[in-house]
Amino acid sequence: MTHPPETTEARAAAPLATAPASAGSGDGGTDNGADKTRGGWRGRRSYRGTVAPYGFLTPTFVLLLVLMVTPITMVIGYSFVDRVIINPNSEFVGFENYAQVLGDPVFFKAVSNTAIFAGASVIAHFVLGMGFALMLNSPMIGNRLKAVYRAIYILPWLFTVAIVAVLWRMLLSPNGIVNFFVTELGFAEEQIAWLSDPSLALPAITFINIWAGYPFFMVSLLAGLQGISSELYEAARLDRAGPVKQFFNVTLPQLKPIIISMALLDFIWTTQQFALIWMTTGGGPIDATEMVSTYTYKLAFSTYDFAVASASAVIIFLLSMTLAFFYVRHQKSRD
Amino acid sequence: MTATKTSLSAPTQLEVPTRAHVIRARKRKKIALIAALTVGALFPALPVVWMLSSSFKPNGLIFEYPPRLITEGFSFDAYVAILTDPEKLRFFFNSYFIAGSVTVLTLFVAVLAAYAFSRYDFKGKRIINVVVISVQAVPPITLLIPYFGLVVVLGLYNTYPGLILTYMVFTLPYAIIMMTGYFNTLPRELDEAVKVDGGSPWTALWRVLVPISVPGMVSVGVYTFMIAWNEYLFALTLTRTNDMRTVPIGIQLLMGQHAYDWNQMMAMSVLGCIPVLILFLFFQRYFIGGMTAGAVKA
Amino acid sequence: MRKWIGATAAVSALALVTACSSEGASDGPSDGDGGGNGETVTLEFAQWWEPELPEGVLRGLMDDFEEANPGIEVELLSGPYASTREQVVAGAASGTMSDVVGLDGAWVSDFVDQGSIADLTALMSDAGYDDGELASQVQLGGSTYMIPVVNFAYMLFTNDGLLAEAGVDAAPSTRSEFEAAAIAVSESDENTSGWILPLSLETPNGIQNDVMSWAWASGGSMLTDDGAPDVNNADVQSAVDFVVGLDEAGAVAPGAATLKEQDKVEEFSSGRVGMMISSLAHINTLRESSPDLDFSLHAVPAEDGYSGERGTPYASWGIGVAENSENKEEAWKLVEFLMSADANGELANAANAFPGNSTAVPEFVTQDEIFQSAFDVWNEGYPANEFVGLPVAEQLMRDMAEELQRVLNGDISVEDALTATQTKWESQF
Repeated sequence: MTHPPETTEARAAAPLATAPASAGSGDGGTDNGADKTRGGWRGRRSYRGTVAPYGFLTPTFVLLLVLMVTPITMVIGYSFVDRVIINPNSEFVGFENYAQVLGDPVFFKAVSNTAIFAGASVIAHFVLGMGFALMLNSPMIGNRLKAVYRAIYILPWLFTVAIVAVLWRMLLSPNGIVNFFVTELGFAEEQIAWLSDPSLALPAITFINIWAGYPFFMVSLLAGLQGISSELYEAARLDRAGPVKQFFNVTLPQLKPIIISMALLDFIWTTQQFALIWMTTGGGPIDATEMVSTYTYKLAFSTYDFAVASASAVIIFLLSMTLAFFYVRHQKSRD
Repeated sequence: MTATKTSLSAPTQLEVPTRAHVIRARKRKKIALIAALTVGALFPALPVVWMLSSSFKPNGLIFEYPPRLITEGFSFDAYVAILTDPEKLRFFFNSYFIAGSVTVLTLFVAVLAAYAFSRYDFKGKRIINVVVISVQAVPPITLLIPYFGLVVVLGLYNTYPGLILTYMVFTLPYAIIMMTGYFNTLPRELDEAVKVDGGSPWTALWRVLVPISVPGMVSVGVYTFMIAWNEYLFALTLTRTNDMRTVPIGIQLLMGQHAYDWNQMMAMSVLGCIPVLILFLFFQRYFIGGMTAGAVKA
Repeated sequence: MRKWIGATAAVSALALVTACSSEGASDGPSDGDGGGNGETVTLEFAQWWEPELPEGVLRGLMDDFEEANPGIEVELLSGPYASTREQVVAGAASGTMSDVVGLDGAWVSDFVDQGSIADLTALMSDAGYDDGELASQVQLGGSTYMIPVVNFAYMLFTNDGLLAEAGVDAAPSTRSEFEAAAIAVSESDENTSGWILPLSLETPNGIQNDVMSWAWASGGSMLTDDGAPDVNNADVQSAVDFVVGLDEAGAVAPGAATLKEQDKVEEFSSGRVGMMISSLAHINTLRESSPDLDFSLHAVPAEDGYSGERGTPYASWGIGVAENSENKEEAWKLVEFLMSADANGELANAANAFPGNSTAVPEFVTQDEIFQSAFDVWNEGYPANEFVGLPVAEQLMRDMAEELQRVLNGDISVEDALTATQTKWESQF
């Protein structure tokens, strides 16, 4: 795409970087204050204040601006008009669409279901991902065996969501294999309708999502574990720290940045999980698994109310933005 | 299960640890670990075993009760049907081509951006960060219509670049955040050393940081590949003809209005995952063994 | 270097501007068309039928059409059924809708609202077409927007083996006979159920095919004479009461709330369900997947003592023309071709459906006993599907499905559910 200019850009940045005088002109500003709070190697001024970082960010800027910010802006625009897309003569209605969404009790039910679904998924993804990653990282077993296990453990990740949904519908159906084991082993008298029972449906789809999503955490943590210096463990061992203590005093703090980033991203992604829910329960039974994603989808493609659907999307966007804001602030203070 | 039991019931007298004891204790631990890994592996593997089993069954027996792993009529017909259908093979080619391109391009663009975030302070960094993270929070389904319009206007409708750029937008934020994290763990002294030798930040990035970040890049790359590989909604909307479409759509085409072609659906996802698995087995060696970053870390 | 950044910004801004003008472009011509100046015209025909039909059938018909109409070529664009609607909506919004599109009756009203499908009455009169042979047309405000090409009737399928085991020798014809048979089958074996009711919210067409069909079969209606919702009338109430009664008697297969049409057929085909109301399209599915299954087809049972004509629910593969097509004339020729007795009969034959051309008699009807009996039922009754042409028809079904799930869950009474449905429907009309 933009390779050649990128190269010249970066090369040219070097001489500028060594000349702090040229830096002032417009790039200093607000970040100076924050800068002072930073310690360590990042506080050094040598690379500060050049245009080079903007050069490095240009491809990202262009892509996100054209392909992400533009449609989002359009969606925000839709959210203030009436009967958009379906009706060619839509009118500006102010916050009416927002009022409609916020006045709908189902929307709040959807928000709370989404929070439960996403919260439980992220926690379970982390616990399982961490546990499996630690086991798979153990030096005690040989590399070949480890490779086999690693391949098995990432299996759920390799399937498209449509197949995950269909497969689990099959497994969890009243006459499916899960019920076969449950009844044969005497855990239940009757076959259980996992996905059709209003009290079981949300736990059931959360379980499916956990199954489908933990390998992402596992792989990232596995990579993160490679980066922890063995000296840290040796030092801990000299302090007579057992495996548990080593985990809490070395592994966890070292992985914390990765964990927080992934937890945030996983939370945001899980709140958007649509196909899995739609293809297993359709948001039902009744509204037991209604999520913001299914709620918005129905507004857009079932009642063709794109304006209200857009308003709902913007509300979700704002909620996530708050989350992202806290995350970035947290990162700042950590530095 | 039984392995766990033996390891637990092994003798645990208090004795002065000898070399033999240490070895025995280590062996016990090893057996316990393998047992735990095996039991844990049932969680990901059992549903997949069932998928595999269904792909060999005739459609009429997939829902029989009580269920059986192998039924009469066991056959490879579903696989043959897929592998002899040029249209379906095209789906596989498209999926690999698109996911592969997305992975390479996303990594390239993300490495540049992560370098800026990790090594520079600049005006607007914070806002850009918030934007990069939160743009992913808009439900894609609501973006579908405006996005579709955009792609048509840009002339990318029903083209590979259309899908590749779309997936890059989806995967970039994560890739940038993760690569920034990996770069942040690498000491600044590395860059300094390059500069002392007269190199530019550009050389510092590609000659020093990137080579030792390979494990991080592999894990980001695997993620990127998976997103592009498994995406359905945009893959369908942004394409018009089946010669541009990917495996998830091929699978969905088997879910008919009135009935599903179960064994072919299952066979297609099994076939789809095998090459990815091989790729993963190849790359996973980067997860093993100490990586340089850990060694040089202060 | 700053210049370069400036240039990038300018390019991005430009891209933004072009992007924003996409709405303006939406009424422009759809691309990929040859243009109508005497050159070859390429018609795009978007549908979900091709993957449903035996391989090559639809393409073969298109080849016949191209041969009969030199200068017109047809490109088939096939997608999965479940996503066809989104694709049509998105395509219409950005001006890339295909010239000819496959439609479902439940979508028509919304597409007319969007202004995405053309008035076929006007096209017919331009072409001087005599619509006497068309079995039906879907009209809104006096104009035709969709023509059903083939119809899939929904009837009662009975697993005669299971029924016989349960001591039922004759297929039920009234509701009380049906209830007795369903209970008998459920009690004969712990793994079998008398009837199956798919109420998935993803595709809520169970409301149309498996619930309202009971009302229609007894001459009931869910609309007032002028087409307003009237879903809490006595006819519908008695039908829903009957369905709920079956569930309370334990005669309905478990897991109704997430079952879809495809699941219904799998359960029936696996011999775990004695009876289902289903599409004729499933006859071949059942024969292929369970060659030993002994089943037969009957009219949906009516209220005891009802002797009038029975409404038979149906779903159609409908066809329409895009409003923004540049080649409406040629597009109509394709519609006309598909509705001609020969082509229509061939398509109906391949799809195992009843033809939309009233003079076409598909071969399978004369050659196959089960289809013959189904065709008789179809001809004795009248086609009934009140959801066709209603606004947001799918959402109406979903609203009702949700309320019915509440009833089956024991939360509310049938009466409350229908009142709630009526209120929701009124707000949608």
